[in-house]
Amino acid sequence: MFQNRAEALALALPAAIFAALVFIVPVLLLLSEGFKVAEQWTLSAFVDFFSQPLNRTVFLRTLKLGAMVTLVAAVIGYATAYAIVSLPAGAKGRMIGLVVLPLMISPVARTYAWIVILGRTGIVNQALMAIGLTDEPIRILFTETAVFIGLLQLFLPLMVISLISALENLPRDAVPAARVLGANWFQVFWKVILPLTREGLVVGGTLVFTGSMTAYITPAILGGSKVLMLETLLYQQVTVANNFVSASVIAFILIIMSVAANILLKRIATARNRT
Amino acid sequence: MSDASYLFLDKLSLAYGKTIAVKDLDLNICKGELLALLGPSGCGKTTTMRAIAGLMTPSSGRIILDGADITRVPANRRNIGLVFQSYALFPHLTVFENVAFGLKLHGLRGEELTRRVEDGLETVGLAAFANRKTPELSGGQQQRVALARSMVMQPKVLMLDEPLSNLDARLRLEMRTELQRVQKESGVTMIFVTHDQVEALALADRIVVMRDGAIEQIGTPEEIYNSPVSSFVADFVGFENVFAISDGRLSTKDGADIALAGTLPKAKGLAWRPRAIELGTGPFTGVVRGVSFAGGTREYVLESRFGSIKAEADAKLPGYPLNSELAFDMPVAAAAPLQRFG
Amino acid sequence: MTQRLFAPLTLLLVMIFLIGPFFIIVAASFSAGETLAFPPEGFSLKWISKVFIVESFRQSFAVSMFLAIGGTLSALLLGIPASYAMSRYKLPLSETVRFMVSAPIIVPGIIVGLALLRYFVIPIGLSITLALFVAHTALVLPYAVRVVSASLANLRSDMEEAAVLLGSSRLGAFFRVVLPNIRGGILAAFILGFVTSFNQVPVSLFLSGPGVRTLPIDMLGYMEIVFDPSVAALSSLLAFLSIGIVFAAERFLGFSRYV
Ligand SMILES: Nc1ncnc2c1ncn2[C@@H]1O[C@H](COP(=O)(O)OP(=O)(O)O)[C@@H](O)[C@H]1O
Ligand SMILES: [Mg+2]
Repeated sequence: MFQNRAEALALALPAAIFAALVFIVPVLLLLSEGFKVAEQWTLSAFVDFFSQPLNRTVFLRTLKLGAMVTLVAAVIGYATAYAIVSLPAGAKGRMIGLVVLPLMISPVARTYAWIVILGRTGIVNQALMAIGLTDEPIRILFTETAVFIGLLQLFLPLMVISLISALENLPRDAVPAARVLGANWFQVFWKVILPLTREGLVVGGTLVFTGSMTAYITPAILGGSKVLMLETLLYQQVTVANNFVSASVIAFILIIMSVAANILLKRIATARNRT
Repeated sequence: MSDASYLFLDKLSLAYGKTIAVKDLDLNICKGELLALLGPSGCGKTTTMRAIAGLMTPSSGRIILDGADITRVPANRRNIGLVFQSYALFPHLTVFENVAFGLKLHGLRGEELTRRVEDGLETVGLAAFANRKTPELSGGQQQRVALARSMVMQPKVLMLDEPLSNLDARLRLEMRTELQRVQKESGVTMIFVTHDQVEALALADRIVVMRDGAIEQIGTPEEIYNSPVSSFVADFVGFENVFAISDGRLSTKDGADIALAGTLPKAKGLAWRPRAIELGTGPFTGVVRGVSFAGGTREYVLESRFGSIKAEADAKLPGYPLNSELAFDMPVAAAAPLQRFG
Repeated sequence: MTQRLFAPLTLLLVMIFLIGPFFIIVAASFSAGETLAFPPEGFSLKWISKVFIVESFRQSFAVSMFLAIGGTLSALLLGIPASYAMSRYKLPLSETVRFMVSAPIIVPGIIVGLALLRYFVIPIGLSITLALFVAHTALVLPYAVRVVSASLANLRSDMEEAAVLLGSSRLGAFFRVVLPNIRGGILAAFILGFVTSFNQVPVSLFLSGPGVRTLPIDMLGYMEIVFDPSVAALSSLLAFLSIGIVFAAERFLGFSRYV
């Protein structure tokens, strides 16, 4: 450990000043606008924001979609992670690679694919009509369902990866031991796997939840103006309504969500380091 | 060896933040001497070396080298060599480039450079490995590279941090003689750190025993081995039976006072090596709780009024069976008197 | 028996869900038809080649390339010394500095973009290009610091001390000993930063002007107006580009070790 403070500061300050100047200060200024009306500090912008039905709907929808995506991702994630962890080493590595792969692809490209699948003449509608379930194409695009599917596909890998590392740290014989003791699969999951992988679930869940809450591309492409979420609403408030106060309120909500999630993750990380 | 002080540590105190690692250390080292810093892990050996090298600034005190105060001289201008415990080789460079590193920084080029590096590698027997990358070498070879890298700089003082502790037993012996040879041939002033008394006794001209950031005893190997000044040193150099004296009687760990035959010397304690304990005759009795065969000798653990006693007898003599009762003596004449206890 | 089928079936379905859509856009990009459809109508390369002809794609591709390369390089230029200070020096307020340089990862990109628009572009007249550049640098900075810090943590610091004792200055030790040994980490940070920046949308949403917009933003705009397979073709190309880069990185430097 070198002791020279001047040298240390000279090395670290450019990055710190850069971050403060172009990032921290402007973002704080932006957030402060939500608390200011006519130069007065007040919460009235928040009251106004939530008094409008559309805003309430969007806020609740964002929460709801975030929660649903997280829940479904957890269920599918456990099944997938368990299946992958049980594979022999080589196959396991390849499967993890396949799960990670989509994370490297542009989210625009990944989301765009759903237009082909869910559109009026998309695969799903063709299939439904072919087996006679419907006479004319049903509308899937620009519904909450489409946004849900898009978000799930975007963020499921994060859940699977978190759960894989949690399951890998499971004591080797915990599951067989419980089975030998007569537990059925449901009991094994509830009494053994879940408690022992809770950390991984929280990590994955936080990543998926904040990812979904703060998503822009998916609701923009698959939801459009019919299914607004907080980020697409923010975009609209700025570009269409020119309402920066409302935008600041949304920004504040998004940041609070994100910061809270990160604090949670950091807690878990430090708790893990200590043990 | 000349008597003039070459490296002098004057009331040196070293701290990590609020933790004081070394306190008011005074030490004189002669030119060409081979000095061992001996002490248990955490006693401040590495810290002392790092301060001498200039890698840490003393909180107080001075370091005098060859008549000049170098306390504030930056590490890269001291010309003091340090072979790190981890060797700290540069993994992206070859053996040759590692050894040439410092010489190049001092402006050596071309044939002169090649000659000096090759000489250095020759000295440690690695001439054939010049073009290898260092991670490909074994632990012993890596250490030789580290040694050569420091030696070619012709440092005023060469320090080695636990040079033998990462090597296996056979290599350790080999490296020990090697270090001694290199030091005697080059005449470099050498300080090496160890927590192993055998190493210190075998190699050093003088041994400094450290404890909790202070010097406990300085002496030749014979002095340290035969006349430890304190119970700490006695423990450390293998006097297995160490007792305090109070009111002219020997006191044991469980608080029993025992009188010994003859007058006790004026000292705070007495210490016996296992082979100083006489078995078969004597005023005390003990029960044999452990026997182990150690080649030339047999080692015994006796349970007695003194607590547990470690004794040793020639293996050619008939052995005492486990759990048998046995008379023994702890002759005062065979004990080392200790000036400090605890 | 049902259990034996359960695991492979789950994996198959999940993989179809995760990767299937990617194959569909790849197939759709080879369509000969005029609209986006699957199964594609016939086979042609016309949409793939159109991608290279559309002027705005070429422009925005250049912008995105410039941002991804320039932004990542400047993030490394800022991030490497900062990481070094945090890992090797007794840095005052070290935790605060670490928080500051990793904060951009916490704040949703759309907010950063809006803040820059509101306080730099509009009042001061900062050019859109510069604002984008700054935003992408800030965005990549946390990744650069994280990956480089991890590399430094794996590099024993006594190597620098050995170099100093052999006569090198502290700065010299950094260039002669540290830099060569964290090259892999820096390259990994560069690739991660490049991919992140190139694919990033929200931060650039508000930062587009005449002739200056990033490729993903351009695609978003294009797909609202034109319903032909060229966006699918472009998406496929970009996906292959990302996958190719990451594969090469994994192959040649064990990318996943660093990330
Ligand atoms: N980097 C450090 N920060 C804080 N304390 C340290 C550091 N290095 C060593 N110490 C403390 O200083 C004391 C001496 O350590 P050291 O010189 O490494 O001992 P030795 O080399 O004799 O084993 C120990 O108590 C140790 O815990
Ligand atoms: Mg040490």
